[in-house]
Amino acid sequence: MIPSLLCPDQPLRLVDTHSPSASARQAIIRVEDLSIVFDVPSGHVIAVDRVSLAVTQGEFVSIVGPSGCGKSTLLNAMAGLERPFEGQVLIAGEAMLAPRPEIGMVFQQPHLFPWKSVRRNIAHGPRALGKSKAEALRIADDLIAMIGLTKFASAYPHTLSGGMQQRVAIARALANQPRVLLMDEPFGALDAQTRAVMQDNLLELRERINATIVFVTHDIDEAILLSDRVLIMSAGPGRILKDLQVSLPRPRSSAIVAEAAYLALKRDCLDLIRSEGRRAFEQMEIRT
Amino acid sequence: MSVGGRSSASATARLSVLVAVLSVPAFTGVWELIARSGIVNAVLFPPPSTVAVAILEWIRTGQFFGDLMASLSRVAGGFAVGAAGGIVLGVLTGRVRLVSSLLSPLFHILRPIPPIAFVPIVILWFGLSETGKLFLVVWGVFFTVWLATHIGVQKVDHGLIRAAQMLGTPQPQMLWEIVLLGALPYVTVGLRTAVSISFYTLVAAELAGSFAGIVYRIEIAQQNMQTGQVMGGLAALGLLSFVADRSFAILAERAVWWR
Ligand SMILES: Nc1ncnc2c1ncn2[C@@H]1O[C@H](COP(=O)(O)OP(=O)(O)O)[C@@H](O)[C@H]1O
Ligand SMILES: [Mg+2]
Repeated sequence: MIPSLLCPDQPLRLVDTHSPSASARQAIIRVEDLSIVFDVPSGHVIAVDRVSLAVTQGEFVSIVGPSGCGKSTLLNAMAGLERPFEGQVLIAGEAMLAPRPEIGMVFQQPHLFPWKSVRRNIAHGPRALGKSKAEALRIADDLIAMIGLTKFASAYPHTLSGGMQQRVAIARALANQPRVLLMDEPFGALDAQTRAVMQDNLLELRERINATIVFVTHDIDEAILLSDRVLIMSAGPGRILKDLQVSLPRPRSSAIVAEAAYLALKRDCLDLIRSEGRRAFEQMEIRT
Repeated sequence: MSVGGRSSASATARLSVLVAVLSVPAFTGVWELIARSGIVNAVLFPPPSTVAVAILEWIRTGQFFGDLMASLSRVAGGFAVGAAGGIVLGVLTGRVRLVSSLLSPLFHILRPIPPIAFVPIVILWFGLSETGKLFLVVWGVFFTVWLATHIGVQKVDHGLIRAAQMLGTPQPQMLWEIVLLGALPYVTVGLRTAVSISFYTLVAAELAGSFAGIVYRIEIAQQNMQTGQVMGGLAALGLLSFVADRSFAILAERAVWWR
């Protein structure tokens, strides 16, 4: 029943990005010549430097790069939490100047409301959008079943483990049936074992919802495992170095990391990152 | 050796419990002895037995209940109004730039003036009416609660606010649910401090001229040289303020219900 809950007006549709129609599909996210600059006491920092990208409807795109390269800033701009300095972000044709409930976000920290139970945390979005209490709680209960936390529905967040909290945060973002789900290193704070479980959960979840997902990570394995496409960013100022299609078959699971096609892809990524790192390092050498 | 050491440690522990239990009775006994011995003036320094008689008499005549109600209603009324105002304006100044620019400088100038210093002008404005007394208590409570809320609001986890924004939380709900509850741990600390401040300002308010109340009774007894009644009044005030603080501490613990 969950798929019909999440997409009430459409039957369950698995998103197949390999079909020829995928490339013909419209871009739902367009980032055009986006630059974001922060004022700091010593002048300013260019966090995002003239980035352009497009994400098609239903696609799962990862953005990979070293920490501090501007991934979060880029994602926040897509969320409407950060204003462009130059350029623009269009989602469904509209400029993102403020958050919109059809765009969901999961942060590295769960940021659950500590005074609300799991159930009420998830019901928060539908309530905020004016749904009745009964309707909001029904949506919450369906999502709780989907993330497997029915036993913890009335628990408060601080009593849950980090992985459980992050599952609740994902469910909370999905409760508003977002067309786009932005995820900023959502598993970055979890231990390796929990992270692998969460990645498999997300792969399953992804088959059931038809949101477009933009996923930020600094973990190459995670990016290849989850995505249809991986964008590799350079160390600051943030720019996109490479746009890599991941045409590994779905459904996937974390077991994929042992396969040859996967390893070849990963080697390409690492070579690119290494040469970029060397270039950045040499530039630094010259400068000093 | 170690066994001996441990048993002497537990002996010390037992002794300190005994001393703690006997402390107040012993103190009262010594006081009684000194007051009756003639070393000190028994009119100015009456024995505890005289104080006890004065308290019983106070209760028996029914004046105590009236005084208690008069004082309690001033403290409770002033606290409620001051705290509500402090919380509402604290959330607004902590969160809305323009409101903060408008009010914060003013509040920072007024806040350090001890509320008691306002007694003369309050008498000019309100005479000896209840409004004036309420004003003093409200004044003292308001600034304490306002500052605690203002600071608490600014310390609310920014991630919570962003998460709420992403979920489409409307502005009023953002202020009165996310921001206020996020700041609640700070707010309760401010409220607890304000409980004792409300008693300080009560003293000033009643000394400035009133017709009933515990501090009023102390002042009348002083004018009649009823030292026993004065001390009885002090004891009542101390007990009242102690009970208020304790109950508030328990309440505050419950207020942050999700911990
Ligand atoms: N609010 C801010 N104020 C000033 N500098 C910032 C701010 N947010 C990010 N930055 C800077 O912008 C750069 C990119 O940051 P960020 O997007 O968080 O990187 P990432 O998510 O890839 O680790 C960093 O140099 C960081 O210090
Ligand atoms: Mg980041």
